[in-house]
Amino acid sequence: MTVLTPAAEVERPASTPAAGPARRGPRSVLAVALFLAPAVALVGVLMIVPFLDTAYRSFFNDNGLSRTFVGLDNYVTLLTSSGFGQTLVNTLMWVVGTLALPVLIGLLIAVGTHELRWGALARFSLVLPYALSGAATAVVWTFVLRDDGALNAALAALGLAHLEQGWLLEWPLNTVVMIVASTWQGTGVAVILFLIGLQAIPPSTIEAAKLDGASGFRLFWHITLPQLRPITVVVVGISVVNSLKTFDIVWLLSKGGPGTASETLALTMYRETFTLARYGAGAAVAVVLTVVVVAVSWLYLRRQLQAN
Amino acid sequence: MIDRPPCPPRGLARRTLLGLVGAGALAAATGCARGSYTRPAPGNVLTLNNDVATWSEAYDAASAVLERRTGSRLAVRAVPNQSTYQQIVRMSAQTDATTDLFKWWNGYRLQDIARGGIVTDLSAVWDQAEAEGWVNPSMRGSFSFDGRAWALPLYKTYYPVFFSRRTFADAGVAVPTTFAEFVDVAATLRDAGVTPIGAPGATTWESIIWFTQLLIGHSPDFYEDVTAGRASYLDDTATAAMELWSRMYADGFFSEPDVDASDFPGRFAEGTLGMALAGTFNVNSYTEAGLGPADVGMFLLPPVDPGAEQAVVVESAALCVSANAHKHDQAMAVADAWLATDVQQAWVDRLGDASANPAALPTGSLVTDLARDVERVRPREVTRYWEASPPVLVEGNVQDLSAFMVTPTVDNGIAVLRNMQDRADAEWKAWRA
Repeated sequence: MTVLTPAAEVERPASTPAAGPARRGPRSVLAVALFLAPAVALVGVLMIVPFLDTAYRSFFNDNGLSRTFVGLDNYVTLLTSSGFGQTLVNTLMWVVGTLALPVLIGLLIAVGTHELRWGALARFSLVLPYALSGAATAVVWTFVLRDDGALNAALAALGLAHLEQGWLLEWPLNTVVMIVASTWQGTGVAVILFLIGLQAIPPSTIEAAKLDGASGFRLFWHITLPQLRPITVVVVGISVVNSLKTFDIVWLLSKGGPGTASETLALTMYRETFTLARYGAGAAVAVVLTVVVVAVSWLYLRRQLQAN
Repeated sequence: MIDRPPCPPRGLARRTLLGLVGAGALAAATGCARGSYTRPAPGNVLTLNNDVATWSEAYDAASAVLERRTGSRLAVRAVPNQSTYQQIVRMSAQTDATTDLFKWWNGYRLQDIARGGIVTDLSAVWDQAEAEGWVNPSMRGSFSFDGRAWALPLYKTYYPVFFSRRTFADAGVAVPTTFAEFVDVAATLRDAGVTPIGAPGATTWESIIWFTQLLIGHSPDFYEDVTAGRASYLDDTATAAMELWSRMYADGFFSEPDVDASDFPGRFAEGTLGMALAGTFNVNSYTEAGLGPADVGMFLLPPVDPGAEQAVVVESAALCVSANAHKHDQAMAVADAWLATDVQQAWVDRLGDASANPAALPTGSLVTDLARDVERVRPREVTRYWEASPPVLVEGNVQDLSAFMVTPTVDNGIAVLRNMQDRADAEWKAWRA
């Protein structure tokens, strides 16, 4: 959100011809630079410099004790490795799953409970898991999804033993159930943001539509939803970025396994760097992941913000 | 309302106060960081870094004896996350922020850092310890690289089969003396509605345990050759081991692969689990659950091939002296005394596990009987798979073996062996480069 708001504001003045940057004097440029300096310095020191360092390291074969220059070898190894395709498929499943579930469910919950009498209570119970950390969520779900866990025990108790599964042991089932677990936790933030969006809709438009005879689904589809667009851009943007860097829940539930079947790009990065102590190879994955996240975010936001 | 003091001075004062507190905390934090990492520890204290928080009492006990012998005592730091710990050691070892001594792993993991030049040559210490009879000379190989020894054994964990005496008594079975008898025991337990063998590993390193055991059960020589890159994972011996493992799964001998070993003591006590092949370091979790020698026993798994030599997997963490130690001389003196019987006795009495010094048997531990058995039978000791090949090769193979445990068919086993050989080809090339 912090990234989006200034970007949105920069776009708008640029489209109005009255205020052109050419009219600014040197003093005002200096003032703008001074105001921007702390933010630019922070982003520079905490993000750009580490990224450049990571990119530099990705050209080396580095085990933490010695380092040799290998050019693009780390990238070639990564892109040609047998597991890379699977990792991309998993990452894509997370992106699609995160867009389909938390965003959609969040929207439905927000709209469905917005004007209900006990809506606040319903929302509270649905938003509550968002207060848990990813790690805590994963631990809870481990108890549910393990082979001798609560879900299989419940199925057996209900006489549905034939439905028992190794939920975390088979791909793609494990990725799907992990997306469900992450939905349980992550829907809360979508609900909160959509509620903010709903509150920002002028009641007059809704009333006018009602006077014209719109109600139910038509009211939602033609009046409410279009006005939720700005907040949808934010929710979808956050979800896409979060899903691309999914790590904690997968690491704790399946460790990317069995083998590397449920690994995402973030897990590959961790495994290369911290398990295998191949810092150069890990850095190469980090660069690829960053490029993917920035490219997707840029393409999406550019389109959406222009459309706005 | 009227009595309230005007706001601005209060705001300023608070801000100043906060600023001072913040600056003070920052100064204190930097001071601490400097004091504890980049300078020698005060007095006669030597610093030791390790990744097991629960060993601090045992270190204290060993430290008390070491102080009498060498004048130095140990201050132990624990970083309980293994990955983080490895990063810290690797990154700090080349700076002046390293500890004087640190824990590592033997075998190829030790070779990995010995090549990096961050540990001290301890060959003379080994010569002395062997002359004193403090250590079995056959262990030296897994602590050596390039003809020199780089660390000392911190302890010695064996991998026997733990079994529940209650479960065995309920099913009317006795400790097996041949592999065929072991299979019969497992079948009897299964027919009695008990899980015969608890075997975790779906997402953990524990997937190597049964793979290793079945390999050494066929041929310890082959195991040592394949882990050293001298034999192929596609050899008949490896295939036979994989087929047997798969058959044992098909026969219903194993638990689901995502069980948690920390549940085993409870299941032993209630009689719902028969056996578990595990390191003797697990003994503490059984003791803490209130189980003693009357509840839990251990035996060495007999070889699959009756003609093969009886072998047992051994794991020994490594005690290293940092090349950059602040108090290098004192650290070397501690290394000289580490394997002495009195130091080891104090250490293993608290640790509950076995020592590399055969004269120091842990008092009152479940492991004592096993250690005596080992002394009597003198099985061939092989290095655990985790330390027996280059780390990157092991880590990849662990994941493949985990995948096999999830889908333990013969076809999948053969596919896993093929993956392991492909990885071995690539990683041995990288290791030898």
